[in-house]
Amino acid sequence: MELMKLEIVTPLGVIFNDEIKQVTIPGSEGEFGVLAGHASLVSLLDAGVIVIETKESKELSVAINGGYVKVEEDKTLCVVDGAVAIDAEGSDLATALANAKELLRKAGESNVGIASAMSKIDRLA
Amino acid sequence: MANLKDIKRKISSVKGTQKTTRAMKLVSSSKLKKAEEVAKRSKIYATKLTELLSEIAQKMNQSDGDIDNIFFKENKNPSKVDIVFVSADKGLCGGFNYQTIKRTNKLLKEFDEAGVEVRLSGIGKKGIAFYKYNKRDMINEINDLSSSPSYERASEFISVLVEDYLQGKTDKIVLVYNGYVNMITQEIVEQQLLPVDMSKIELNSVSMSELEIEPDDDDTLMNALVKKYIEYSMYYGLLTSLAGEHSARMQAMDAATKNAGEMVQKLTVKYNKARQEAITTELIEIISGMESLK
Repeated sequence: MELMKLEIVTPLGVIFNDEIKQVTIPGSEGEFGVLAGHASLVSLLDAGVIVIETKESKELSVAINGGYVKVEEDKTLCVVDGAVAIDAEGSDLATALANAKELLRKAGESNVGIASAMSKIDRLA
Repeated sequence: MANLKDIKRKISSVKGTQKTTRAMKLVSSSKLKKAEEVAKRSKIYATKLTELLSEIAQKMNQSDGDIDNIFFKENKNPSKVDIVFVSADKGLCGGFNYQTIKRTNKLLKEFDEAGVEVRLSGIGKKGIAFYKYNKRDMINEINDLSSSPSYERASEFISVLVEDYLQGKTDKIVLVYNGYVNMITQEIVEQQLLPVDMSKIELNSVSMSELEIEPDDDDTLMNALVKKYIEYSMYYGLLTSLAGEHSARMQAMDAATKNAGEMVQKLTVKYNKARQEAITTELIEIISGMESLK
């Protein structure tokens, strides 16, 4: 499977920069998946969860509270305001989940996106 | 002849000062490391954000020829301008604050001469104190934001001005701060926040005609992005100004410590001379006393 580059940047620095297989992004007009070779696109992001399929076919989730994404054929760049990684194999999964929920809650407006993101986080638990 | 006791007292007082300046230097250098780190990391974000903004601006530029967005419309004859300066909350950092004030004054003078009305907003105790003393009105002043920058407060502060700009109350927003370059240099930065300075935005020649934008009316994304860009520029200004402040203080305190050391040395020489003189005088007195007894 063809790989592409994903970079996630927050005000506190780069939190993810690696080759990946696929990524699902919470766009403001709805969630969408990106594979290598996707058409160029710039979109606003809502609060939600970015789901990454790494090159080792592992699933990785990052909760974000909004931002922007720029998709190019071989590269995706997410510029987000705040992010919390939820590592399913991490030792303090509970803390990470709590942090992620807190971040989403702070993002404000109780909308469907946040609710679905919350349920996604719960599924990971 | 200088009194021995006086010199001794002076030496110990200079040594006391030296202790203080040395401690301040150490404190600043450790704080600088932290501030530098934060500024460096957020620089990546700022760069990416600018990159994104340029690309969308470029795309809009291509479709319209001219960017038709209030954030980009340059008013050739501004009648009302906002100036925001960032100074430190504390002194004892050499010419750091004065540099900012000097540049702000220069801008004020330029606008005054051009007959442009200027609204001044200040961040940081030192600059605010200066303009208060000089009886210059400020519409907005914040203390203790420059010593502990927070994104929320910075964006709150700048949104008020952006709102005024959008309502047409002002034509321009300029930000002045003394930014960090490296350990020994700071550089005054004068940044035009609004309208967005197109010369700062690089238009590279990558074909973006295929670029899709979501939500697909250009303005929603553009407005959100520009607002973010401005808020972040403000925040970044605060961060680099803080790092600059610490590096300036470190330098100033280093120089002060050295000067104090030199002074102690000079005073010690003086003290020894005075002591020897006293001994010589005393000896002469004793000898001449003995001579007269013979």
